[in-house]
Amino acid sequence: MKMKRLALTVLLLMSARLVPAQNIDKTLSFQYQGMQIQAPKFRARITLAPMMKLIGGEMVYSEAAGVWALGFSDHLIQISPERKLLLIDGELMEADEMPLSAPDGVAVSLSYLQHYVLAPFGLHLEKIPSGYAIREGASFGSPLVIHPIIADFGETTTMVLALDEAAEATVETDDKGHILVHFPRNSPRLDLSRRFESRNILSIQAGHNSVEIVPAAGIGVISKNFLHSPERVVLELGKVRPTPSPAPEQAPPPPRHRQGPPIVVIDPGHGGPDTGALGPKGLAEKQLTLSVAKKLASRLRNMGYAVRLTRTKDEARALSDRVALANRLEAAIFVSLHVNSSTARSVRGAETYYMSLDQKASDAAAQSIAEVENAVSGKKRSSASGLDLILWDMAQSEVLNESAALALDIQLRLNTLLGIKDRGVKQAPFVVLTGATMPAALVEIGFLSNPGEAAQLESNSHQQELAEAIASGIRDFLGSR
Amino acid sequence: MKTRLLLILLSLVVLVGFLAWLLFLRPEAVIKKPLPKDVIEQPTPTPAPPQRAVLLFAGSDGLLHPELRQIPLPVERDERVRVLVHALLEGPRGRLVPIFPYRAELLGVFVDLHDRAFVDLSPPDTAPGGSTMECNLVYGVVNTILLNTDLKAVQLLFGGREVESLGGHLVLSRPLSLNKAFIGQ
Repeated sequence: MKMKRLALTVLLLMSARLVPAQNIDKTLSFQYQGMQIQAPKFRARITLAPMMKLIGGEMVYSEAAGVWALGFSDHLIQISPERKLLLIDGELMEADEMPLSAPDGVAVSLSYLQHYVLAPFGLHLEKIPSGYAIREGASFGSPLVIHPIIADFGETTTMVLALDEAAEATVETDDKGHILVHFPRNSPRLDLSRRFESRNILSIQAGHNSVEIVPAAGIGVISKNFLHSPERVVLELGKVRPTPSPAPEQAPPPPRHRQGPPIVVIDPGHGGPDTGALGPKGLAEKQLTLSVAKKLASRLRNMGYAVRLTRTKDEARALSDRVALANRLEAAIFVSLHVNSSTARSVRGAETYYMSLDQKASDAAAQSIAEVENAVSGKKRSSASGLDLILWDMAQSEVLNESAALALDIQLRLNTLLGIKDRGVKQAPFVVLTGATMPAALVEIGFLSNPGEAAQLESNSHQQELAEAIASGIRDFLGSR
Repeated sequence: MKTRLLLILLSLVVLVGFLAWLLFLRPEAVIKKPLPKDVIEQPTPTPAPPQRAVLLFAGSDGLLHPELRQIPLPVERDERVRVLVHALLEGPRGRLVPIFPYRAELLGVFVDLHDRAFVDLSPPDTAPGGSTMECNLVYGVVNTILLNTDLKAVQLLFGGREVESLGGHLVLSRPLSLNKAFIGQ
């Protein structure tokens, strides 16, 4: 009898301990319209399948695409496990975290569930004593979708943060010079479907209650406007007066209309840990570009030009800093030197590139700004930005035409003086040519992937010939202006 | 007698409770429980008859050249992009040269409402050097997709991230449109 009592006691204790334990650690209670489920947890996340079943939504997996499609009330969310990117009603978003692959589909955190699943469905989570209730409508602190639209106009950049709904916002600059747009009552979410490229903005990212904009050195907020219909924050960024430095010896700014010989800025490609292409014997592109650049600089100085190199030794230089130097010096031209390589080992010869704006993308960015700005008729920036757009477009077109002429002049000299194979002049959106306000070209002097040409490129005399040819092309171009 | 009866009843209650826990509440049982058919049902794939696809690979002149291949091209745009990129990753079957200088994998494809495809590739261990290598890789993928779909632009992502550039040459921080300058005659 005693044994039976003991066994019974043990059994009771086990069942009493086990059932609550699994409720606390393994599942979470969710309620929706009077129904309740215990959603199983997976690695501290909630599995989505029971949640979708609870709200009456659909969840389908496409094995070929590796994507879970969640449908509810005419909304569609596509999630890839282990990926931050997701599509919400066709808009590409980047979440703060990745969903995990779970035994029955995909598991997400409560925050992800709230921001990227329930909010797009017009639902929100509410904490209740037994767990969470899913309610209709947006909650306080609901995610605010922000569509950043950015375009450079000369030296300044206009950034429009178009908001999906009205939101309280403030703008401040922290001690690192980063610009913080605070949304105290919302959690911002950036729409990444519109790409941007700006010489004044290095990055933009959404934080908990703010959007952080990292500007280039010396760039800050010139003006800020909070506009309505449509709701948006408009920031104008540009050069701001630097904090007075105790060191009196600051280099004087170049005169607006500088006198003296034209300045040619030569950019030896790559440098530092960025070796660029490697030859069969380990010769690095960064060494060759620096060697040819020094020879080219010497030849150009003999021709009477003022020359500046973006680097004079093996060191890393940000791509944006290279053309920024040319802009700051008001250089006449900017030439970036590179050495080529190809998966096809037999390819040899020189080729010259100039910038492509990828007109469709540029037009789309400019059009977006115009659309948002023109939405408010009579507002003070509407007419100004329209004029800015036209002037900016005209200036860019002129620079591009001149860049094409510069590239052609250099390529012709490389062809005729060296008798090397003409690989022609091509147009593509190159990072190092982005933002140049003067004619600019990128010269690939030969192929390191071709063993014969690589050996030729190593020779001092061949490098001197290349420098002569490029210098002659530059003189042809500058002499014809 | 009364005590024995009470004990038997109690034991029965406990056993029934334990069995119920095993069957319905144990977490493994919930996870392994098959989902309703409407939740796990696969979408019916659109039949994809083989069609002539234009795949761009590198030629001996360093430019991109077409290889025509009969492959099943799905109607769904993201699926079609996936098939095309897989064909590029497999490499050419004729005299042309692969555009990928490293063993790349396709990690994901997204198509947005603005007719733009976002192709996520595994990143290289070291950046491919040389404009031609980079242009062939980038425009091999971009042009192949745009020549075989009604999409307007393609952006390459690497390792799930937007990158400024792959090897310090082309701007990859935005979608690119068709560029025929890199396609040979």
